Amino acid sequence: MAANRSQGSYYTLLLVSATVFCAGIAYLEGGSGKLMLVIGAAGLLASLFGMLKIKTLEGKTALKPGPGAMKLTGAGVCALGWLITLVGMHITPSTGGRIVLALVGIGVSLLGMLVILPAAFNKNAVWKS
Amino acid sequence: MKLIRSSCLGFCILALALLMGAVAHAQAPVAAPPAAAAAAAPPPSAATAELAAAAAKAPATADLAKGDPGGTITGTISDVPVSDSKTGLTLPDVAGQVGQNKIAINFVWTLVTGFLVMFMQAGFAMVESGLCRVKNANHTYMMNFFVYTCGLFAYWILGFAIQMGGAAGNGNLGGLQSLSSEHTLSLFGKTWGLFGQTGYFLSGHTYDVGVMVIFLFQMVFMDTALTIVTGACAERWKFLAFCVSSTIMGAITYPLYANWAWGAGWLSQLGANVGLGHGYCDFAGSGVVHAVGGLTAMAVCFIVGPRIGKFNRDGSSNPIIGHDISAVLIGCFILAFGWFGFNPGSTLGASAAGNLRIGSIAVDTMLAGCTGTLGAILFMWMKNGKVDASMSGNGLLAGLVAITAPSGFVSATSSCIIGLIAGVLVCLSCSFVENVLKLDDPVGAISVHGTNGLWGVLSVGLFADGTSNYGGGWNGVTGSVTGLFYGDASQLAAQLVGISTLIGFVFTFSFVLNLVLEYFVGQRVSIETEVAGLDLPEMGQLGYPEFVFKPEPDVLLHAEHAYTAA
Repeated sequence: MAANRSQGSYYTLLLVSATVFCAGIAYLEGGSGKLMLVIGAAGLLASLFGMLKIKTLEGKTALKPGPGAMKLTGAGVCALGWLITLVGMHITPSTGGRIVLALVGIGVSLLGMLVILPAAFNKNAVWKS
Repeated sequence: MKLIRSSCLGFCILALALLMGAVAHAQAPVAAPPAAAAAAAPPPSAATAELAAAAAKAPATADLAKGDPGGTITGTISDVPVSDSKTGLTLPDVAGQVGQNKIAINFVWTLVTGFLVMFMQAGFAMVESGLCRVKNANHTYMMNFFVYTCGLFAYWILGFAIQMGGAAGNGNLGGLQSLSSEHTLSLFGKTWGLFGQTGYFLSGHTYDVGVMVIFLFQMVFMDTALTIVTGACAERWKFLAFCVSSTIMGAITYPLYANWAWGAGWLSQLGANVGLGHGYCDFAGSGVVHAVGGLTAMAVCFIVGPRIGKFNRDGSSNPIIGHDISAVLIGCFILAFGWFGFNPGSTLGASAAGNLRIGSIAVDTMLAGCTGTLGAILFMWMKNGKVDASMSGNGLLAGLVAITAPSGFVSATSSCIIGLIAGVLVCLSCSFVENVLKLDDPVGAISVHGTNGLWGVLSVGLFADGTSNYGGGWNGVTGSVTGLFYGDASQLAAQLVGISTLIGFVFTFSFVLNLVLEYFVGQRVSIETEVAGLDLPEMGQLGYPEFVFKPEPDVLLHAEHAYTAA
């Protein structure tokens, strides 16, 4: 399936809903703000599910599903590295200690990003078959 | 009926009377000040008398009517507005005009440099499209074209408020006091900024001249980050998925990190709160713009997968040559030109508060681009025996990306070193991304913007020389930003926290967000669309309809046949 009218319609709905949703956030203190927030959120969900409905029409893509858990593990390890850095800032007052812990955090994040995620995506890569 | 008619008539007469009264009131002469008050007015001071004498010597209208070919009598004391014509020009009048001139200079500077950055979109479009095959030219150009629109819209409705909603206090642009609401979190006895809360739709109190200037400038930066992703995912990214992903990035991902770094967020408070140098310092956005764009590009690249035929069964890669190297190199020049808006413009002013450093910043930018190009050309020449044109362009861009964060804090020599390292780094990184990670990045965006964005952020912590003085401090910490090589290791620690946040938060956030979009929207076009080229199926029109397409190389043809048959 190439680009089509349904895609255009659902993207338009997404933009309009996002606008109403943001207007709701801007005027949240008033009753109309809350109403706009709810209407906007409903519109956003409707647009996403609309896109999901027409997704199957796309046809076969040059992708194979990979191990989902491994992908999420990679993302989780990536985020864990960030948390190590944040905690490291507070558990030691020395600059040297903070630099070391920040480097450890970066290292852990890189492990998730450059080792686990590529392994997850390349495990069943379509070019291997 | 008669009653209604007479009521209407009465109402009209009443309205007419009120209108006439209002007009009469508006036209009534202003009451003269009481004689007693005039008598009590203080005698003119020496300064006022001096100003009056100078005004008397100013060129007369008759002189100006003769023309001023030398430009010596145009723009004099006569042009300073007087608040009260009876008292003539006073010292407060002059001081007021000086203040407004400072803000006017800074407004014009920031706007014009913002216009330069906006023009970089054209450069990105040419570089990315030139590095893609001709069958995808229209699609790639359209992604670069539409990202400006959807990004701007998303930034207007939400992104700007998140990024700059709590960024009040910029003296260069008149204070921006209406941007005064930052959502904060109290942790370990300190207050940390998380996201802004004013400025949705630029409405209410943010309908303000200064806010409009900062909106324009920050918006074009945001759009630069968005357009990085389109290059890395070119030739197989579904247009709808691109639209939704870019809208969300312009509304949430970019503004959030930009708030933390530039909008009174927690990264900028690392210095004031926990004593890490001057907090995270990113002068013009190696991290905020380029690393955010590059890492998001990497996240989407994982999900969208490599192009058909890019990798063989054994994992080796095939080169997929772009269709127009001239567009690539001209695009690189346009980007280098726009970078003079990017870096010097990030002072947000040319007048006062140490802003005369713009000269140094512009030269640093120029030099880093030069050594970046040198690094890439010489490295590829020595490695492969040929000068690689596309990698030369990437070397220029890598040098410029790397100098973006440190440009306001480093010397000319340091900028040369930073650029040279960036030029070599981009070559190594491109090879690593393609051969080790097996990511297909047609334009090298992950390496140019991601890797070198991170290198730029790190280099602030190493090379900042402590000579800059933007109003006496940075991020609320007195003194100049100083890196490890000039004696302050704590600045390096702050930069490392920034890098960790970019990799650990921005990358992860973008990855999860786009994984959700993969579920709902589907990121990739079908095999048929990809093989045919995205121009006709996605755009309905070829980029170059009168061209006769040269057949793909055998290796790509075989791969395309295999995928189509499967």
